[in-house]
Amino acid sequence: MYRPRDIIETIAGNLRRTRNPFGIPNTLVNRWWKDADLPKNGEALLFTGLMYQFVPYIETATGYLAKFEDTPWAEYLRYARWAPSTLSGLGLALITPGRDKRKFNRTLQNIARILTASRASFYYRPELDQYSGVLLYDLGDQKTFENHAHWVARRLTSAGVKKLITVDPHTTYALKELYPKITGAHFEVTPYFEKIRIPARKTDRTVTLHDPCFYGRYLGLSDVPARALAALGIQCRKVEQSGAFTHCCGGPAESISPKLAGEVGGRRLAQLSAPGAPIVAMCPICLGNLRKLGADVEDLSSILAENLAA
Amino acid sequence: MTALNPDFAEEMMKYGEDTALACFNCGTCSAICPLLHDHFPRKLIRYIQIGAKDRILENAAELWKCLHCGLCTQTCPREANPGEIILSLKRMAVENWRKS
Repeated sequence: MYRPRDIIETIAGNLRRTRNPFGIPNTLVNRWWKDADLPKNGEALLFTGLMYQFVPYIETATGYLAKFEDTPWAEYLRYARWAPSTLSGLGLALITPGRDKRKFNRTLQNIARILTASRASFYYRPELDQYSGVLLYDLGDQKTFENHAHWVARRLTSAGVKKLITVDPHTTYALKELYPKITGAHFEVTPYFEKIRIPARKTDRTVTLHDPCFYGRYLGLSDVPARALAALGIQCRKVEQSGAFTHCCGGPAESISPKLAGEVGGRRLAQLSAPGAPIVAMCPICLGNLRKLGADVEDLSSILAENLAA
Repeated sequence: MTALNPDFAEEMMKYGEDTALACFNCGTCSAICPLLHDHFPRKLIRYIQIGAKDRILENAAELWKCLHCGLCTQTCPREANPGEIILSLKRMAVENWRKS
């Protein structure tokens, strides 16, 4: 386990200086929209919160953390917060494989395709699509989270944004539940799968759906993706813990202790593997942590997009 | 020797959650917690109840094992909100580091 203070101060420093928890310029991280023909006008802003874009960088960074956890080298992490954020961020960007970046960009492109096929009225403006800061909230750095949330909310309200379509549970929770209390800004926040209106096709597929904690428990939304899949003829196998009682994937511990994230994730993976069907996740953190444990896991959006292509 | 602070539970209000006194230490939270770790989070809530602030700060790193998954809050029979109590303790520890 790393010293939480070293991790928190590094992430908080990066977020304060660059608006990115890794210190990577957001223009380098958020490039998925460049290859997608997205509407510039519409009713709701597609707000990715950059979480899917972060997955390849999280995988690289936590790969190193896993290597040095509980070794004498871990001591050097205390100096990380003094390193210039952009320099360390660019270093991380350089060593992160391009194929992984492209993979997660495709996830977001799939979501845009699903929204378009569902005739949802949405638009995208990359300069408004910012990280919500939710990791700092989870880590207990309330002050940094609040300052960042005010900055994000100000940008959105100044641009006249009232409705948001989100793509991951952590950003959805932050914008829907935390921002109104902290910043006073109230947005109508809808996860993309609530917008799905794809004509039903006959498919004969069964999957195991992993409910993330924030959709299953905090937001009570786990029925919605299951219904969207059922409407396409895709059946979901029963999992030992699901819905409001779903089991954590272990991912939230990955910055402080990759070992602990692996232990908790391993227990969840055993539950998800038991039904014997392909595993489907709908949270970038869950997806990343289950992948690290060797699971063959697909994102909900790729299953839905396959149906579009069929 | 641990100094006890009788006003600690009240002090916790500043960090968000003041429901620790509702807990009757049944241990449901520890039984359901995916960490399976040393009476977590029940032990820490007990420390709040008895005012053992120093004991919590001495072992503050333990708090960050919590995944904030919310299973403990979901199942708490007293609605004491253990998950949010742990998050409040994290806030207190962060503020304490920055002050020191």
